[in-house]
Amino acid sequence: MREEEVNKGLKSDLRVWLLIAAVLFSVVMIHPWYSSEEGATTDLNYGLDLEGGSWLQIRLQGAVAQLDADISQTVPAIIESVIGSSIDVKSVTGHTGSGYSSVGTTVVFTTDAYVSDLQMDLAGIGESDISYSGNTSEIILYTNKQTLITQYLSDSLDAEVIPLSLGDSVEYEIRKEISQEDLQVLMSAVDGSILTEADGTPIYREGVRTETRDLTRDILSDKLNSLGLKDIPVRTVGEDYILIDFAGTDLTTAKEIVERPGKFEIRVQTQGNETAHVLYGDGIEKVGVVTFHDGQWHTPFTLNEEGALALQKIAIETGATNDPNSHWLYMYLDDNEIYGAPLSYSAATRLTEVPIYSWEASSGPDDDSKSEAEQLQIHLRAGALPVNVVLMGSGQVDAALGAQFKKQTLFAGLFALLAVALVVFRRYGKKEILLPMVGTSICELIMILGVAATINWQLDLPAIAGIIAAIGTGIDHLVIITDEVLYEGKLPSKKVYLERIAKAFGIIFAAAATTTIAMSPLVVMGFGALKGFAITTIIGVLIGVLIARPVYGKVIKVVLDEAQ
Amino acid sequence: MGSILTEYLDSFIRGRDDKQLITIPLVVLALSLLVSLVVFSSTGAPVKLGLEFEGGTMIAFETQETAGVLEQAYSDYSLDDARKAGDRAILQFGPMDNEDQKELEKDIISKYSNVEIKQIGALYGKELQSQALKAMVLSFIGMAIVVFLIFRTAVPSIAVVLSAVSDIAIAIGFMNIVGIELSLGTVAALLMLIGYSVDSDILLTTRVLKRRGTVNENIGRAMHTGLTMTTTTLAALVVMYIVSTFSYLVTSSASQVNLLSDISIVLIFGLVADIMNTWLLNTGILRWHVNRSNPRGRRA
Repeated sequence: MREEEVNKGLKSDLRVWLLIAAVLFSVVMIHPWYSSEEGATTDLNYGLDLEGGSWLQIRLQGAVAQLDADISQTVPAIIESVIGSSIDVKSVTGHTGSGYSSVGTTVVFTTDAYVSDLQMDLAGIGESDISYSGNTSEIILYTNKQTLITQYLSDSLDAEVIPLSLGDSVEYEIRKEISQEDLQVLMSAVDGSILTEADGTPIYREGVRTETRDLTRDILSDKLNSLGLKDIPVRTVGEDYILIDFAGTDLTTAKEIVERPGKFEIRVQTQGNETAHVLYGDGIEKVGVVTFHDGQWHTPFTLNEEGALALQKIAIETGATNDPNSHWLYMYLDDNEIYGAPLSYSAATRLTEVPIYSWEASSGPDDDSKSEAEQLQIHLRAGALPVNVVLMGSGQVDAALGAQFKKQTLFAGLFALLAVALVVFRRYGKKEILLPMVGTSICELIMILGVAATINWQLDLPAIAGIIAAIGTGIDHLVIITDEVLYEGKLPSKKVYLERIAKAFGIIFAAAATTTIAMSPLVVMGFGALKGFAITTIIGVLIGVLIARPVYGKVIKVVLDEAQ
Repeated sequence: MGSILTEYLDSFIRGRDDKQLITIPLVVLALSLLVSLVVFSSTGAPVKLGLEFEGGTMIAFETQETAGVLEQAYSDYSLDDARKAGDRAILQFGPMDNEDQKELEKDIISKYSNVEIKQIGALYGKELQSQALKAMVLSFIGMAIVVFLIFRTAVPSIAVVLSAVSDIAIAIGFMNIVGIELSLGTVAALLMLIGYSVDSDILLTTRVLKRRGTVNENIGRAMHTGLTMTTTTLAALVVMYIVSTFSYLVTSSASQVNLLSDISIVLIFGLVADIMNTWLLNTGILRWHVNRSNPRGRRA
């Protein structure tokens, strides 16, 4: 009679059903299975330290700063090394501020040396008109400060420098490590400086832009996964780090894979299906940013001298300059065709006279073409990364060792649970308390693993430590509930019971809130192993407090009532 | 055993005044801080920094060769330390350049089985250091704010925060004495300690401030619950420590699971310190606070 009432009490409680549903759902997600071939299996993902494999963590080197320089100093700094003689700046007119302006700057300078158009083109800082009188060349250069600073830095550092206009100011991304002091010195040489905020702090930071970091990640991912090995996840970590996981690969092999450059090749169609080699990836000097113009998406790229000459020579030899449409150019990455198109007629005509350095590969007008162009931008680099990277950390765990760690961790967990059960039994001496308590803990464990399986969370050793922490505080909380219900040694009436449960949960919620808050910096800051630890702890604590422990409070009352 | 401890502690607390209660943990705290200060003055860090924060390479593998033989074999590679645990050798190297690193890895991977490698660049170690420090400080501030929000009175909140500080300080002092390095695992343990520490402190404070009955009665009951909590956790940790550290004594193929071993030993000592800090330090302060504001020691 009494028992029926009690059962009804549990059955009509939504939270009980929620717990049951959550546990069942978790079991389905975890999907434990046994087959004679594979043994016991689950759908849980394990981290490299339990599964075996290796990882590499790399850092992108670079600096982003806003800069100013004196144009009359910057132009000589760039030009003099190109023409090999000193110049005399006569005038600087137009826009000279440090910010971005669509108005260009005109610089007039003279020199005693003979300056050719080609030399000015090579300097790459704008269009110019050259006139000669006697031994003196007078050059009128149409340029702007942004181009000059970019070229100056790029020449002095032998690194790629990318300017980006942010409304009215210009930010320079230097794709090579340079300290604030060194950059300051470099800019002082041309009467310039690192710009400062209104409060005087220099606008300089180490690292690269998020877009550059993501591009680097995509290039790496593209390159590693084109090798047709297992899926190799490439992730960004924090601002400037990239983490690469190689499941089932040893560290030596992993490093070889990363360091091996992709093989990029341009070939030209000779006859029918036959093609001839034009140039390899080393013939490409620079790959630009995808742009849209003339109704098409384009990927600009620049050939170096050898590349440009090789292309001119073979285009003339094969007849591509006369009949572009039957002599397409094809691009290959690791022997897979990635792009094919004929020369444009204007390019074909020009090639008969001079080599062409700057090229654009057009892909079409729509969104698909845009992504194709972006893909090509990655491929053209042939796995060469846009920024310098350094290895910051690496590691390896053999598969057999990982399996052993897994086994030992499982044992440690099982024995720990047994030890807890023993202590609890000694303390309360009642299996009516022991069973629900251990049962609740096991439910919490199943639900945490269920969440991990659902969101494909990788269980590594730190994550398992987090689960242990959550289960550990869980037991603490169950003890609080039990003692509160049994306060003063006897089972209370329903009204008092409700009051006490409320008190117990007051304590438990307070404790859970502090633990969650204490762990959250690790989640947000997101460095390495501790992030996984913190996330599993928080998930575990929340599952425990919101789903499992309220039901324990119910069950313990019912079970003790029954026992009396 | 738990109940004997409870009875003993209970009568101890009833028999002493607040100052006596507080003195013992404060002395232990001061000693721990002193140890850490000495370490700090010689190394620049309050506890010896491990591989993850200092940079370097750890390589572990299975071999029958002795530590001495291995030390000889790898002395060319800035070897810091070579030791054996069962059939596993653990070699620690200082920072080296990429080429040497690759050569060393290749050599070991080709020769030995069950290899584990962990390499952290010195710069990355620095960054991890500052991040770990920031995380600890932020965790602490966050915890303190929540505690103040819960109790909304200064003295009890300060007592809870002070107990947590003391737990961590003593755990760090212990790490210094026993020679456990600060690793990501031990940082995790110290952060877990915040959670465990606050659990029993909140229990105590809530019971004492919000229940009828004399202060000593409430403390006694809270202790009954609190010590059960701590002993269950301790039992689990001791077992975990033994399994993760000494399995190789049973089957020589087993290896130490360093992360779990580090976490459990630091937590064990942190929790022992927590027993003292909760039931002497926090209790002492709390009892003083309650008696001061309500000399009859009873709450209506």
